[in-house]
Amino acid sequence: MSAIQVLLISAFLFTALYYFVRLRNRIADVLLLFILVAGAVLFILFPGWTNFIAQKLGVGRGADLVFYTCIVLFCFVILKLYSRMRRLEQQITEIIRKETIEEAEIKE
Amino acid sequence: MPEANIYIIVPAYNEQEMLRIVVSSLIQTGYKIVVVDDGSDTGVSPFLNGLPIQLLKHRINLGQGAALQTGNSYALQKGADVIIHFDSDGQHRVADIETLLAPILSNECDITLGSRFLSKSRPVNISFFRNMVLHTARYLNYLFTGLLLTDAHNGLRAMNRHAAQQLVLTENRMAHASEVLFLLKKNKLRFKEVPVIIDYTKYSKQKGQSSWNSIRIFFDLLLHKLFE
Repeated sequence: MSAIQVLLISAFLFTALYYFVRLRNRIADVLLLFILVAGAVLFILFPGWTNFIAQKLGVGRGADLVFYTCIVLFCFVILKLYSRMRRLEQQITEIIRKETIEEAEIKE
Repeated sequence: MPEANIYIIVPAYNEQEMLRIVVSSLIQTGYKIVVVDDGSDTGVSPFLNGLPIQLLKHRINLGQGAALQTGNSYALQKGADVIIHFDSDGQHRVADIETLLAPILSNECDITLGSRFLSKSRPVNISFFRNMVLHTARYLNYLFTGLLLTDAHNGLRAMNRHAAQQLVLTENRMAHASEVLFLLKKNKLRFKEVPVIIDYTKYSKQKGQSSWNSIRIFFDLLLHKLFE
């Protein structure tokens, strides 16, 4: 195993552990996390696989395929975060609105 | 609808003397005034001292859409029959309120929307750029909602109780004007555009939003559609 493989695998495992500790109760998240990390570790250990898949898909180089997939994943994550932000904003709005109207009622 | 219970909602953010002028002129109409202070830095209450109005205060700044919805919720709770939205920066004219109210009081429609491009005289002092942005926005609204109106982002509108109950605004910022269109289409509300005059004064231009903000509105709408 080369140095970069050790570095990447330990980084992935560390991140996975961190997430696992924080997202205790959502089984779907844990499963998704497990699949992603397992995939990452496998591709790090056997980089030839990405080349094989890339050639099948007509991309050429494995590293390029990984790069393209990452872009798609990032876009997805950003959208997910946006939707969560909007939900949070709506919840805050509800709370402030309720408080505002209650305050006005008290003053009357 | 004789003796209708009419509320005017005035959202205000960091307004000062102009708010007092606007609110004072609104009081002459005899309708109930609700000023929603959208978390202004110093608060607007010193500028409203002694005026017979109801002041609601958001603890933090949420945006004009949120302030209008808070006003709506409050007015509905108080049994409002008709709710009017009126900007606080002096760009609207009090005289236009009667034009907005007439079709609602005669039960001709549920909601009236002010349009600056319907009046016989062209909007004065409107910049070429603003004009262009507004017309682009009209067609974007058409794409989003299927309703082609003559004006896109006019803050002046009036609605009856039924419409106010259906139009629950979730867009906190400026996209509320388009959200109103989504909602009135979705809830099959009867609407009508009426000519109003927008005064582009130095003050309202400086206080109002920049035309560049339309880009922000566009993305808010896109996300709104995406996460509906």
